[in-house]
Amino acid sequence: MSPFSCTREREVSDLLHNGYWPQACPGELRAHVASCRICSDLVLVTGSFQSARRQTAELPRLEPAGAIWWRAQLRRRNVAIEKVGRPIVGAQIFAVIMTLVVVAAMAIWQFGNWSAWFADLPGALHLTALIPSSMPENSVLWIIVPVITTIALLSGIVVYLTSEKQ
Amino acid sequence: MSWESIIPNVLAGDPQSLAGAAPAAIMDNEQFAAFYARSARSLWAYLARVSRDPGLADDLTQEAYVRFLCADHPQDGEVAARRYLFKIATNLLRDHWRRPQSSSIDELPEAVFAASSEIQSDSAAMLGPAMARMRPRDRQLLWLAYAEGYSHHEIAQITGLASASIRLLLFRARRKIARLLRSGGEA
Repeated sequence: MSPFSCTREREVSDLLHNGYWPQACPGELRAHVASCRICSDLVLVTGSFQSARRQTAELPRLEPAGAIWWRAQLRRRNVAIEKVGRPIVGAQIFAVIMTLVVVAAMAIWQFGNWSAWFADLPGALHLTALIPSSMPENSVLWIIVPVITTIALLSGIVVYLTSEKQ
Repeated sequence: MSWESIIPNVLAGDPQSLAGAAPAAIMDNEQFAAFYARSARSLWAYLARVSRDPGLADDLTQEAYVRFLCADHPQDGEVAARRYLFKIATNLLRDHWRRPQSSSIDELPEAVFAASSEIQSDSAAMLGPAMARMRPRDRQLLWLAYAEGYSHHEIAQITGLASASIRLLLFRARRKIARLLRSGGEA
């Protein structure tokens, strides 16, 4: 017998869990329980917990099983859609990165032509007519670039909001 | 199986459409309803007594069943399924305790149990105050061992504690709660 257990503890435990305590318990074992601290603790604690379990189990107003089943199906479906959609999202991210790389490469490669085109743009679109006469003519680029950037940003926001609604 | 062929099944909610579909989900609606009817009250009692919060027990019971149905692990038979359910509930409780606590005026610790104490036996009525003085882990171990009747090995599986340490932890917890029960929870 160790300080943490009694040799008859298993016997008492089986009687308790099978509902045989105390009616179907031999008198000799009852006498042992009365004199053994470990076994008497076991009887007291098991009796209290089993009684509390019976009484507590009467208390809940449980949600219908069908509602839980439906919630689980919905969650499984969402997880499945997410799982299936993962490669597609990966492909989209890859495509965006590749597009940005190509655009950056093109911008670097054609930098000379584009800068000349930008320099000619105010004249081609007659934007100089929109600028106050007090401003120097070469300041047109400082107006065009922010305007194009703003349009690009707004387009991005519109695309984002549209995809969110979908 | 290509993803083009999976998508229509997934959108239709077909549980077999995923590779490694959850065996718990193979349980059909009626089988689940029967299993739920047999196990839900004892699971709720475990969560309510250990957390000392019936409202939390309501939420965690539902969440435990949803996770059980979404699980990817096979459960052979009702005994294993119940044990798995208690393991999910134990993990949910642990997650709840790890989260930063916020107090609420809706919290009614032990109020529900105290209200029904008139119909309880003396020791069962004293269990509430005694349990309140125990640490959450001890409450879990005691409930699983003495209310649910799980073995040390099963408790180790449910709680994730080492099987060898369950014996000593349970012995200490049992001695403490027995002392509290004898003294009416005031020791």
